[in-house]
Amino acid sequence: MADATEDLLVADLRSLGLRAAPETDVEVLAARVLNAIPQAGPDPRRTLLRVALAALAVLVALVATPPVRATVADWFGFGGVRVERGEPDRTGGEGAAPPRVGDVADAAAAVAFPVLLPTALGEPDVVGVGRDRRVVSMTWGGGDEQLRVDQFDGALDYAVAKRAPRMRFVSVAGTDALWFPTPHDVVLLDPDGSRRTESARLAGQTLVWPTATTTLRLEGDLSLAEAVRIAESAVPVG
Amino acid sequence: MARVRDGDADAYADLVRRHAPVAVRTAALLGAGPDAEDVVQEAFVKAYVALDRFRSGSPFRPWLLRIVANETRNLHRAAGRRAAREQRAWAAAEPLLLAGDEPAESALGDVRRSTLVAGLSRLSAQHRQVVTCRYLLDLDEAETAAVLGWPRGTVKSRLHRALSALRDDLAARDAEEVGRHG
Repeated sequence: MADATEDLLVADLRSLGLRAAPETDVEVLAARVLNAIPQAGPDPRRTLLRVALAALAVLVALVATPPVRATVADWFGFGGVRVERGEPDRTGGEGAAPPRVGDVADAAAAVAFPVLLPTALGEPDVVGVGRDRRVVSMTWGGGDEQLRVDQFDGALDYAVAKRAPRMRFVSVAGTDALWFPTPHDVVLLDPDGSRRTESARLAGQTLVWPTATTTLRLEGDLSLAEAVRIAESAVPVG
Repeated sequence: MARVRDGDADAYADLVRRHAPVAVRTAALLGAGPDAEDVVQEAFVKAYVALDRFRSGSPFRPWLLRIVANETRNLHRAAGRRAAREQRAWAAAEPLLLAGDEPAESALGDVRRSTLVAGLSRLSAQHRQVVTCRYLLDLDEAETAAVLGWPRGTVKSRLHRALSALRDDLAARDAEEVGRHG
């Protein structure tokens, strides 16, 4: 008798609990959690975690609110790069390098931002400046072994969009950076954020890292360690 | 969990999505009331920061719920004495149990519901807490032990006594009603 009463009581208590379920939007909560992590503390390891989580918040936001509005600048403090989630289109061919200029010093003179040279690679074989002087490109070697460094004014919004299914958060000289280990689309964007469709191309492994005023990207058949070593060798031109 | 430890943010977001509903219910019924989501957010942040201290191989849920319970208790820290804190916690949870839409699968009537809630409010705080965890939230014994910070044996014995107390209380009230009207 007591058992039956108790079973009934337990069943009723469970029903009582069920009705007291507050409604929760788990996507919103997940985004809030990831956003809240930046306040966790100054521990460098945590900073990295924070960046990783902030980036996730970007991705969550991307999933939740297309069209994409968030910029990496909002989360990482470095500009000019927008990361979108998804498989690359794979329609872009080899992107033309920007028109050639003479050498690194000429490029530095042609643009309004400080140009860096990764000394680990020596003088580049080709130096180019974009038509609108927003991007400086340098390449070393050719074919499959070509290495390429692009740099642009980090204050610009939306200079380069990357559509990448995978990316990792790494550190270059103590600064947060992004590593794209798999092919991804690189698309130049106009200042208003619209795509310049003719500029699409597929990039190999890429490291993206910020300086005080600019954002650089290094692309080529490199391991992460090699890419970081090259990135950390960059010094101002002139 | 290994992916989360490696800093795979997607993996942690999955964990948040999976455990958020039970975490929010736990916070709400342990007394966070309208602050339940804030408490859970804070708990997930703290859990993340403390991930290195999380024993690998052990289940994430009890550990998380324990943090949720601690955060909920912290909400009422300003209330001073433990009895006052527990009173405040119940004051926040009680309206949730009395409000809300009846789930379709529940056959609990309004009268029975308010009777149960009144009975719960007359239990000791410990008895109410163990009933809340084990039955209202439907946590298992290990999770209940983690949330309340009690040994499992204590959970078992207090649960048993709590149910007896509740049953006796409800029976006594019934008899009183019958006596008054009959």
